[in-house]
Amino acid sequence: MAQTSGGVRNIKVFRYDPQQGGEGHFDSYVLNIQDETTTTILDVLLRIQREQDPTLSFRFACRVNMCGSCGMVINGKEGLACKTNVSHIPQGKEVTIRPLNHFPVIKDLVVDMEPFFKKYEEALPFYEPREETTEPAVIRPGSRERQDIGMATDCIACGCCVSSCTMCHYHEGYAGPAALNRAFTLLADSRDGLFEERLDRVLASCYNCRTEFNCTEVCPKRISGTRAIKYIQRLALKHIKAKPETIEAEQPAVAQPSCASEMAGSMAGNMAGNMDRRTFISQVGVGLLGTCLALGVGGVVGAAFVGPTRARTPRLWVPAASLSSIPVGDVTTIKINYETKNGLYTQQVAERVLVSRTGDEIICFKASCTHLGCMVKWDGNAGRFRCACHGGAFDRNGKVIAGPPPKPLDRYPFRVDSDHLLVEVG
Amino acid sequence: MVSKVKADLLIIGMGAAAQMAALYAHEINPELDILIVTKALKGKGGCSRMVQGGFNVVLTPRDSHEKHLMDTLKGGQYINDQYLARTLVEQATPTIKEMETKFGCFFDRNPDGTIHQKAFAGQSFDRTVHKADLTGIEIISRLTEQVMKRGFPVLQECRAVELLLDGPGEIVTGALLLDMRRGEFIVAEAAATLVATGGGPTHYRFHAPGPEKSVDGIAMLYRAGVIMKDMEMLQFHPTGLIVPGSVVAGALLEEGLRGAGAHLFNGSGERYMLNYAPEVGERATRDVVSRSSYLEMMAGRACPEGGVQIDASHLGAGFVLKTFPGMAERCRQFNYDLARGRVPVSPTAHFFMGGAVIDTGGRSTLEKLFVAGEDAGGVHGANRLGGNGICDSCVYGRQAGKALGKYLSGGNRSIKETRRGQVEEFMARLEAPLQRSRGANPFELRKAIQELNWNKVGVARKEPELSGALSEIEDIAEAVETAGVTGGAVYNMMYNTYLDIRSMIDATRIVAFSARLREETRGAHFRQDFPEQRDDYGLFNIFLKRSDDGRPVAEKKPVVFKYKSLEECRKYKK
Ligand SMILES: Cc1cc2nc3c(=O)[nH]c(=O)nc-3n(C[C@H](O)[C@H](O)[C@H](O)COP(=O)(O)OP(=O)(O)OC[C@H]3O[C@@H](n4cnc5c(N)ncnc54)[C@H](O)[C@@H]3O)c2cc1C
Ligand code: SF4
Ligand code: FES
Repeated sequence: MAQTSGGVRNIKVFRYDPQQGGEGHFDSYVLNIQDETTTTILDVLLRIQREQDPTLSFRFACRVNMCGSCGMVINGKEGLACKTNVSHIPQGKEVTIRPLNHFPVIKDLVVDMEPFFKKYEEALPFYEPREETTEPAVIRPGSRERQDIGMATDCIACGCCVSSCTMCHYHEGYAGPAALNRAFTLLADSRDGLFEERLDRVLASCYNCRTEFNCTEVCPKRISGTRAIKYIQRLALKHIKAKPETIEAEQPAVAQPSCASEMAGSMAGNMAGNMDRRTFISQVGVGLLGTCLALGVGGVVGAAFVGPTRARTPRLWVPAASLSSIPVGDVTTIKINYETKNGLYTQQVAERVLVSRTGDEIICFKASCTHLGCMVKWDGNAGRFRCACHGGAFDRNGKVIAGPPPKPLDRYPFRVDSDHLLVEVG
Repeated sequence: MVSKVKADLLIIGMGAAAQMAALYAHEINPELDILIVTKALKGKGGCSRMVQGGFNVVLTPRDSHEKHLMDTLKGGQYINDQYLARTLVEQATPTIKEMETKFGCFFDRNPDGTIHQKAFAGQSFDRTVHKADLTGIEIISRLTEQVMKRGFPVLQECRAVELLLDGPGEIVTGALLLDMRRGEFIVAEAAATLVATGGGPTHYRFHAPGPEKSVDGIAMLYRAGVIMKDMEMLQFHPTGLIVPGSVVAGALLEEGLRGAGAHLFNGSGERYMLNYAPEVGERATRDVVSRSSYLEMMAGRACPEGGVQIDASHLGAGFVLKTFPGMAERCRQFNYDLARGRVPVSPTAHFFMGGAVIDTGGRSTLEKLFVAGEDAGGVHGANRLGGNGICDSCVYGRQAGKALGKYLSGGNRSIKETRRGQVEEFMARLEAPLQRSRGANPFELRKAIQELNWNKVGVARKEPELSGALSEIEDIAEAVETAGVTGGAVYNMMYNTYLDIRSMIDATRIVAFSARLREETRGAHFRQDFPEQRDDYGLFNIFLKRSDDGRPVAEKKPVVFKYKSLEECRKYKK
């Protein structure tokens, strides 16, 4: 059954020794490989190390495509050493192995992944519960959000996409496909509470993408960075199209974008599956998706014209509580719920308002830290607001007294209407 | 040159147990200065991210903690620490919920939107939570993000090599680390230290964990004088893929294949499981299938690749491809057709049930030292159920984190002084191979250790092989003392292999030592010379520690049946 194909291969491996410095060079090795169809590039490197040159360095951990440690450039294309077999390289051809692009080389094939993690971190790639609950959310597997997210949360942070992307090379500030992919999966996740902050963070980056699909082609997990980027742009587009207007409503209030686009729904549906460049392009030719792509690109241009920051979504007055229920001299946490239309779907928003009431004065603070948007809580004993994420603290008036927050707590505009406290959201 | 770092809490490892501990210690006590060190890149090392199957937990009123506990004790053949097992099953429920609600994990759903739970072997209820067949990636990616969010410093590619102790050797003061990128040592001192390096029996020819692991945690704990238990209990998974000459050898083909009705054949084309377990055949438990395959291989009835063959083709190619896409792909990469042909497999070393003795807050027998996850022992007794491993790491990571948060509150954040001269002694020994360019080759020594364990401390054990292994490992240990390493200090993989084999040698010593002391067959421990389980003899745990001359000393203590009596355990039927 197993057809074997063996023979002698020339292997060229990039070498760099920090103790010697310089530009690095390639060393050549000759390896007799019994069966190329069952020999991975990782096996090749291990053999060279064991049999010919113990000073060769490379990185790996799981050896089964699960940890993303072994990304490298193999005959010009990014891939995992443990997922690429020698037989994938045309017979008789020399095998050339070099480290990932755009990362500082530590030694030989080992790169410093810190720039990757840093960009990743800047996209706020972490979940922040919209609401404090103890029960897992009930979300149907067939729901739009889960269809959209699909398997895109399976990224193993291998860096192959970033290495393949020419824009990552030219734009220092570009977050890159992996970070944007994670941002997309969180933006689409109705449980997450950092929608605004995250969209603000990543949108500008999305306009750096030139839709080259390199990232999509090299991803070992078949994740499409390109699709993620287009998804974020469409989300933003919806926000821009939503004309600011004031709606006053009792709960549940819906912030309705002024112009609902029929394209949005079908677009998301059609792009739900991850596809590689070839299938993507071949489908573009045939109808619906073609139209969608054109619209999508139009949207991108439009959005770029308006600029990277989104217009505000329609404002909305949401009743918070009856004034008489808010004790004087304390800080009260009030949960508000409202709906907002995000273009692709209706978002249930639950927010916390921290109401500080002293004598005649009322201040309504947002419970979201001005550092990275984590939840801020009132610590009655210490008489300060605290953020658990990085130890930020604010005094009773929202002024920063400790930690990294760059500015005071944000406040909600509010008004009192016949004993009802209403806050303005959106 | 040695640099020094200090922290309130030093966490060694960055798998599920380590990260959960960091997150919960911080939640309880946000002021703590937490330092994480990991042998790999952030969140990339370890077995947690390799979890395919899933996480056992009680989530519906139709199931119960009682049942999960009984399944766990039955699986463990009654020698579990019942206190730990009960905490495991009870705390699993809030743990998995918080992993979704606090940290953003999202596991597969039922059509109605509630969490889906699938069937796993050895369980009375379908209680395994999963994310397709890549559950570990979801768990570790989400936890790593949360660690990032809280800004804990992480020393990547920094491996702990020894624990540091105070003068009398009773208090752990931190650890000696090697920064693999610079090839320099770092002294990390802390008011409390958590070891969570995830066991990982890679000291066998075939092993499921990634080769990055090398039993470092268990070896360091042992060398520091921690009391360990049940070290003879080491699980072999029956179906590790064989790819001759490839490092991928031993990687798992999931258990569901046998569950779905796949057959196993020996080299003579015989369905041998029908001889060993006529009623259930291939569906027998992990330990039974592993030992049957091993005996076939040892009896000279191996297939050409050196193992046995799994065959799922009679289930229909369509079914196999649809039900096991990940497994089919893994096989395809090596030119095996899981859907239409036979694939060579072997039992593969998988998991340590044994480890450091802990309480429900992860406290070990040394002061200021906590242990969680696979490095700790007692939860699983003589055999671990599939799905209880990642559960253990998450639950006990959380338990230890909470305990540490409290332990380090108030005035209890002082760092004790490390015994004078200890760091220098360690370094003098550890650096010696770098000064010898000629000497025994670490790559070859590793191979020798793996072969020795595979043949003599493996799936089937007996005397005099075990005693033989104990003396042979001392020969290898002597050779390691003369090992030489080529190349410079920076990212020197040969030097790291030397450090790996130091750990593997201690692991061999203690596993073989314990295995000799249990003269019966129980759970994963199969003695060919004592093939029966003997409940009139074997209801004990082996507690072991390093004596002053460096060899292990042990004590057998009867199992404490704290919640469930032996009778209840025996009578329990799934
Ligand atoms: C292939 C495979 C599949 C599995 N499938 C399942 C399953 O379906 N269900 C289940 O319940 N269990 C499963 N298990 C078992 C489960 O994965 C483990 O029990 C569990 O993940 C161990 O978690 P941990 O946190 O203790 O350690 P790990 O997750 O292994 O983490 C150990 C960490 O320590 C680091 N480390 C190691 N040595 C050092 C050192 N010297 N210094 C510093 N850092 C170090 C590593 O880099 C890593 O970050 C599986 C195991 C494997 C190998
Ligand atoms: S998106 Fe794909 S290529 Fe990029 S880091 Fe993640 S797994 Fe790697
Ligand atoms: S070694 Fe883990 S992905 Fe290749």
